[in-house]
Amino acid sequence: MDTDDGRERKDGAGERAPAAPAGLSRPARCAIALGALTVAVVTVVHLGMMFLHVAPPNTVSKQHSSTIADYVLPEFEQNWKFFAPNPLQQNIHVQARAQVRAPDGEVRVTPWTDLSAQDGAAILHNPLPSHARQNQLRRAWDFYLAWHDDQGRPLGKRSPLAEEYLRRIAVSRIDLDREPGDLERVQLRSLTSNVAPPPWSKGQTGDPVRRELAWWRVESDDLKVVRVR
Amino acid sequence: MSVSSVRTAWSDAYARVTGSSLGPYQTALIRIGFSFTWLFFLAREWVNSQELYGPDAPWSWDLARRLTDDNGAFTVLMWSDSGWWFRLVYLLAMVSALLLMLGWRTRTMSVLYMIGLLSLQNRSVFVGDGGDNVLHLMAIYMVFTRCGQVWSLDARRARRRAAAGPGGTAPDESAPGTALTEEGKDRDVPGIVLWTVCGLALAFATTAADARLSWTAHGPVPGIGWAALLWALWSGHGLWWAVRRYGGTEPRAVMAAFGHLIHNAALLAILAEVCLIYGAAGWYKVQGSLWQDGSALYYPLHLDYFSPWPSLSHALAASGVVVLLLSYGTVAVQAAFPFTLINRRVKNVLVVAMIAEHLGIAVLLGLPFFSLVMVFADAVFLPTAFLVCAGGAVGRTAARGWSALVRFNRREIPAQWNRRAGVRASETGETEAAHGKAEAEADPARSTTG
Repeated sequence: MDTDDGRERKDGAGERAPAAPAGLSRPARCAIALGALTVAVVTVVHLGMMFLHVAPPNTVSKQHSSTIADYVLPEFEQNWKFFAPNPLQQNIHVQARAQVRAPDGEVRVTPWTDLSAQDGAAILHNPLPSHARQNQLRRAWDFYLAWHDDQGRPLGKRSPLAEEYLRRIAVSRIDLDREPGDLERVQLRSLTSNVAPPPWSKGQTGDPVRRELAWWRVESDDLKVVRVR
Repeated sequence: MSVSSVRTAWSDAYARVTGSSLGPYQTALIRIGFSFTWLFFLAREWVNSQELYGPDAPWSWDLARRLTDDNGAFTVLMWSDSGWWFRLVYLLAMVSALLLMLGWRTRTMSVLYMIGLLSLQNRSVFVGDGGDNVLHLMAIYMVFTRCGQVWSLDARRARRRAAAGPGGTAPDESAPGTALTEEGKDRDVPGIVLWTVCGLALAFATTAADARLSWTAHGPVPGIGWAALLWALWSGHGLWWAVRRYGGTEPRAVMAAFGHLIHNAALLAILAEVCLIYGAAGWYKVQGSLWQDGSALYYPLHLDYFSPWPSLSHALAASGVVVLLLSYGTVAVQAAFPFTLINRRVKNVLVVAMIAEHLGIAVLLGLPFFSLVMVFADAVFLPTAFLVCAGGAVGRTAARGWSALVRFNRREIPAQWNRRAGVRASETGETEAAHGKAEAEADPARSTTG
């Protein structure tokens, strides 16, 4: 890959780049050559790793998957499947409700709060949507789904993190001013509705799919979470 | 092609990569572009910063610690869970981004910028998107580029020193980009102070028990820890300064060649990364049935999270032909981009097309920061002649605006201003008029020093 800069210089006045190695002693030239070789090898290895990480799993990358992962993670991790292979075709509404113990000892369950609708309202007609509204809940939900099976059973070491994260998001967003008392437990559910297919296609929309998670006990640490107004 | 012409081409290329830092305008543009985007982002998220990155964010400090303990991601925010440390890091991230954008001590600022950016992003990985991912990679690559050769305060300082007289030497290509390269007898006090402070901070960070900077583990690449990398950068800067100041011609030439080599390799990595982004994005889309039948773009335009202007999105998505053309066009441009680099003219057309598409995405899909990052990533492929021309135009406009501002400050936009000032004085009486006069006298001094 050539930069335009280099090519133009060549096309232009025919001016030659200053030849650094020329006129230097032999050791100096050797040092530069060695440096060039090292930089070239490092660059080729690095770009090779990046390519194998980004490309679909293939003969080479499957064989050396742990080497590639060691090299790439965590700082060079990347994912460029924007809306690919197929874009998401569903609007997912994550909702939350809480179980509150009122000062008089009565235990009540709040109505569902639509957290995704809160996000949607904040994004609507906003030229600069915040990551807090556009990515936080959406990616937390994806994170939870990736680490739990359909029954909500954990699949691995990240599962507790995903659960605690969702729980804290719920606590941060449930409006407790309307619900005085102690927050004891929260529950989340999702309503997934397909985007109506385009008029020129014959697809069906289908009914929204509902998924309800278990009630989770709120820890005392959760109550310190930053409140979203 | 004869053997000798291959040999000439080879030695030409070798002389070029060891003797010059290529793409000075392109690297300066991405320096300004990426640091501006990050600064703009941090300023925009100031009100939400506690919720995104603060100790009591939904992704709490403790959750982040458990994750980073496991995956080894680098973040100075894990050094303390106190609120003031978080505020300090956030502010330092903003300041380093600003100074990198202006090109003040570019080499040092690029490192501080990377530390700030990685710290915040790795603190809360689950609030980021593709734009953050690009910024993350580019911040690391930029540390190794001389991105301050032009359009920077460093370049201006080098120019002035060269113009100042006998003490200075002509600014060779390597001088402006390096924070600590000092020629002649003049002492660069700010540079030495900055270097010393950075060294002390790094020493504290390496020895303090909480800091967890490792020499060999959890680094950017296997075997090289963050302590090793940061100390290498720090001592590299110091050695470079010492060699330029006290070294002979040969050590200087060797060091200069190393600098050029590293810059050129990092620039290559940046260019390759952009190709990889487009190549992969196109490659995966080609496999998707909805991209194949040309209706893919219909769907994002109907997602609540990606349609801040629903009536506009729905109007655009209403036409099957428009959606088809945009969907096919997106796939074609993305998959083709890496190969168009073979032909300059085609490449330039495509770069312009992609910049236009990203500006559209900024508004339509409500992804302004991602789009801004991609626009600057695209712009690294713009031709030098265009960048020089555009840079000149921007510079002239800015100079005109600045001098107008200075004149305004000095009350040299006289007619209406004086008339209005006169009216105001007669209305409000003597004291305020006297005060205004004192202000007018004080201002020119301020504007010339400012």
